Amino acid sequence: MNMILTLIIFIPILGALLGSLVRASIPLLRLLAIVTSLFVLGLSWILAWYFDPHAGMQFVHIAPWIQNYGITYYVGVDALSLVLLLMITLIMPLLYLYMWREKRHGYWYNMMALQTGVLGAVLSLDLILFYLFWETMLLPVFIMIGRYGNTDNQYNAMRIVVMTIFGSMAMLFSMLYMGYLFFQSHGFWSFSYNDIASLSLDPRTSIVVAAGFLLAFAIKIPLPLFHTWMAPAYGSSPTPAVVILSSIMAKLGIYGIWRFGFGLFESTLEYYVTPLIVFALIGVIFYAIHAIMEPNLRRMFAYSSGSHLSLILLGLMLENVYTWNGSLYLVATHALASAGILIMIGMIYRRVRSITIDDLGGIAQVAPRFAFFFSFFALSIAGLPGTGGFVAELLIIIGAFKYSMIVGVFAALTMIAAITFVFWMLQRTLFGAPSTVTAGFQDLGRIDLLILTPLALLLLLTGLAPSLFTQLFEPALLEMLQAIGRYR
Amino acid sequence: MNQTLLLLIVILPFASAAIMGMAYLFTSLRDERIYSFIGIATPVAVTLFSLILGVQMLSNDTTFVIHSTLFEWLHIGEFQIAFSLMADRLSAVMISFVSLIGTLIHIYASGYMRDDIGYGKFFAYFNFFLGAMLLLVLAQNPIIMFIGWELVGLASYLLIGFYHQESGNITAANKAFIVNRIGDFGFVIGLALLFLAIGDKGFGFDAIRAHISLVDPGLLAPIGILLFVGAMGKSAQIPLYVWLPDAMAGPTPVSALIHAATMVTAGVYMVARFDFLYELIPSVGLFIATIGIASALFAAIIACMQSDIKKILAYSTMSQLGYMFVAVGLGAYSAGIFHVFTHAFFKALLFMGAGAVIIALHHEQDIFKMGGLKTRLPLIFATMLVATLAISGIPPFAGFFSKDAILVHAFAGGHIYIWAIGVLTAFLTAYYMFRLFLIVFITPAKTAHRTTEVGMSMKWPLAVLATGSALTGFLGANEAYGGSNLFGTFIHLGDRVHHVDHSTEYLLGGLSVAVALAGMMLAYLRFGKGASEPKADTPWRALAINKFYIDEIYNALVVVPLRYLSILFDRFDTLFVDGTINLMLLGYRGAADAFGTLQNGKVRYYALYILIGISLLSLAMLRMTRSPL
Amino acid sequence: MPEYYLALAALLFCIGLVGAVSRRNLFVIYMSIELMLNAINLMLATFARAQNDHGGTVMALLLIAVIASEAAVFLSMIITLFRTNRTIDADFFTNLSQEQNP
Repeated sequence: MNMILTLIIFIPILGALLGSLVRASIPLLRLLAIVTSLFVLGLSWILAWYFDPHAGMQFVHIAPWIQNYGITYYVGVDALSLVLLLMITLIMPLLYLYMWREKRHGYWYNMMALQTGVLGAVLSLDLILFYLFWETMLLPVFIMIGRYGNTDNQYNAMRIVVMTIFGSMAMLFSMLYMGYLFFQSHGFWSFSYNDIASLSLDPRTSIVVAAGFLLAFAIKIPLPLFHTWMAPAYGSSPTPAVVILSSIMAKLGIYGIWRFGFGLFESTLEYYVTPLIVFALIGVIFYAIHAIMEPNLRRMFAYSSGSHLSLILLGLMLENVYTWNGSLYLVATHALASAGILIMIGMIYRRVRSITIDDLGGIAQVAPRFAFFFSFFALSIAGLPGTGGFVAELLIIIGAFKYSMIVGVFAALTMIAAITFVFWMLQRTLFGAPSTVTAGFQDLGRIDLLILTPLALLLLLTGLAPSLFTQLFEPALLEMLQAIGRYR
Repeated sequence: MNQTLLLLIVILPFASAAIMGMAYLFTSLRDERIYSFIGIATPVAVTLFSLILGVQMLSNDTTFVIHSTLFEWLHIGEFQIAFSLMADRLSAVMISFVSLIGTLIHIYASGYMRDDIGYGKFFAYFNFFLGAMLLLVLAQNPIIMFIGWELVGLASYLLIGFYHQESGNITAANKAFIVNRIGDFGFVIGLALLFLAIGDKGFGFDAIRAHISLVDPGLLAPIGILLFVGAMGKSAQIPLYVWLPDAMAGPTPVSALIHAATMVTAGVYMVARFDFLYELIPSVGLFIATIGIASALFAAIIACMQSDIKKILAYSTMSQLGYMFVAVGLGAYSAGIFHVFTHAFFKALLFMGAGAVIIALHHEQDIFKMGGLKTRLPLIFATMLVATLAISGIPPFAGFFSKDAILVHAFAGGHIYIWAIGVLTAFLTAYYMFRLFLIVFITPAKTAHRTTEVGMSMKWPLAVLATGSALTGFLGANEAYGGSNLFGTFIHLGDRVHHVDHSTEYLLGGLSVAVALAGMMLAYLRFGKGASEPKADTPWRALAINKFYIDEIYNALVVVPLRYLSILFDRFDTLFVDGTINLMLLGYRGAADAFGTLQNGKVRYYALYILIGISLLSLAMLRMTRSPL
Repeated sequence: MPEYYLALAALLFCIGLVGAVSRRNLFVIYMSIELMLNAINLMLATFARAQNDHGGTVMALLLIAVIASEAAVFLSMIITLFRTNRTIDADFFTNLSQEQNP
């Protein structure tokens, strides 16, 4: 049973290796990708079934790796990583389905490598191992954007890599320094999460070291002022990569702050709480307004993603039971909704070779099914009741009022923030008379429905019966909050 | 049994909406009979169920409340929300007439929408709308109520934008949703504050009622106002009313449903639902009444100058809603709900009559292009006359009793200004309604036009509603008029009671009838013989015709700045953020260039570099060893 | 009196160094390099003699052989360069400079 996480992490890349060894043809590669991802999906559901919400870290697997420096292969799952794990394993098979007709081998290999990267980053509990996976997931994205993207793709690929590596380097220095401090105090090396967490740093060092971590995560999320890589990268990357960027990698920034920020620096974080809250509040409004006039659909939802991630971060920093649950729930539901909408934007691009809003219009008339799903996902991004986003936003708003009146009012603005651009976008994309571009717009086919229906149904379920999902993580979050003294 | 019925009332419409929606979307099934059968059977069943519940309420005492819990919706810390429904007397009354009038509108729509390509979609949306409204009314706690509240907004968005090929319709739909969402912004803040104050003791309406005294009195007023902000949006009160006139972009049955039975009455219902809260904060109540009466007068003034038949009715809805808010604001909750009840009948009738006229004249909506339809459309003429008399407050039609109850309450409560403006609005109401009625039916037409026959399914709902508009008033007639206020006694809300002499009541009633008759007279004098469109010849008239330029003002204050801000942010990104990054890059590149010039490709220079390097190294070594040569 | 020999060697080396760095004619550069190598040779021989250790002598002899073979390679390269470019100006050959390969 304790091998299960290792299997989950490495099966995708093993599939890719197998494919490259036998020089697989596209159909075989497709089969490999789908089978491995479905297998991983099944494993993660088994994991969720046996998961005990009250037991903290589970399914731990430790193996020695670089013993001289105390670097171990150390993976485990708790409520926090379980949510991300389930989300990733669900989205990946759908992305492979989306890539069904993809003829370029590299595309498939990169996606499989990417899956291992993100899964590893979510599950690893050794700092160095985490860093390794953290960078591993960046490389395939770099290749995907640089090689298979469009419009300035190489420049934008370089930009995302340079900016995120800039943050990662800061994080690596912090990690190494903490390992060194551990060595100084204990006489042997260790980078294991538990050992580093037990380290007591003096406040001044701790602030600097925490800054390294926060910089990496702030760029990944991204917070305003660290965000200029985002829209260009979204704009020029191919659809599978953009889904991963928005639904998974950005969430990993949040996960990082949650795991390492609160795990390693819970007392130091006090110094950062106020600035981060301000950044997050600015982000919620700034990105939403930014999206209003954005002519490119993909870039628009890049900003939308930024707005929601800022809200998630806000919930995280407010540190109470409502906002934490709301944030974690929003992580999952926003991933579903944004995967849905970005996949559908990819479908638009496939059909009419344009995702500029001004070219579109009238899709509802020629392709009603498409319009239905598209507006469903768009509305769930806007936080409509009946979808999980509403529940999460409600929780964050309530929690924000618990924190302070002003923060609460700003957090409640998120009710309006998303609709300012979503509805106008829907009007210009779906409604009105069909343009010359969209006149022959094809409605959703069978594979398309196969991709979108699970996402839509799940979103609906998260909105109708949220307690079904929250009970997976609510007790664990309560315990975490109790541990940092934020819940009696 | 009762629990099951209660659940079915909410679930049935959603289920049939889902079934019809899926059938429309994923199959080639386009048979109108199937859709209209499912679409109408559902509200009929719901009406039956609600009447069963209502009858049980009649035979039991006031503590008889039906609860029904489906499952635990959310449980986070103290935040425990069950997906529960609750039917007490107030909600039983609401669901009864909502579903009854909803049914009639459904039947009417089955004729109105005939041969429309989106027939199945229409009924799916319609049932969804009904389900959302029933969820709102039957919710056991404010959170579930808020879900219904928002879903009603979504349904209105879908239906207003039903003819989505016209981009303008979508603009109207967007406006409706966004303005509603702005109201919900206030509502959700109010809910959050309320929850944080007493939510740990349970958040059902019962629990809130039981613990409301524990809330800090300083917090009650903000909560009351914020909840009312939500109602402003949903019930189209100043300043969030702008979506209502534009909502006429939807098909006429939609307007009837939005304006008569669902959606706009939600705000009034919500205030009545929270009567225990508003009872503790009379000053907020006065604020609500002030907003209400201002909206009533404002809308009535605009309505006097409009020429689109549906827009006139839209403004009249806003005006009548103003009366309802006066009632609930001043503590006459049952009177407010009673006006909701009677208004549902005559407003549905007005819209459906207007729709029939529009259909008969091949989608003509300008009243000044109509005229003399009395003989051509006799049934519609007769039913519209009943509705017009009802809304104008002429006894014995329904509107008189409900409006009079509100005005008497305002007068008796000492709010003379509100009462006076109410009477003035009654005068204007009679004036603009008869203006509409005369121009459409009596005044000879300037141009002859052909009319088509209106189907049976559109006619007999009108007759039913006309009967209702004529008779329902007696349910709430109080002692002065020989009744015993059956409605108010049954619904049993925490009204503030002011005792009024019968003579005073006769006086006030007589005055408002006289005022209404005066309004009708004025309308007859100006439009009885011939009518022409209102001209913007004086500044005041121009102001009223252009709806006081409120849309333009909002546009200039909110929409345009947001768009410019968006562009500004883009500039900020490229100039400031990217600029800073590029500045750093520039330094890096400069250094690279500087070092690059050293690499000129000439071997001799390289040799020189080696020489310098070795010399420096040797010097360093010499210094380190400190030994002389 | 090894100092004199060493001084001569240093002098020769410096002359070669200055020549290699400052002259543009490839032949002169070549000769300067030879001069430096020979200065080293002289130094090796001097130390071998002074310390009575014949390892240095062996080294010097080996170096003479290397210098001879190097001369063959170098001269042929210069001839090839002259054939292709009709010049033996060292500053003409700047293929590795930054300006040419931006």
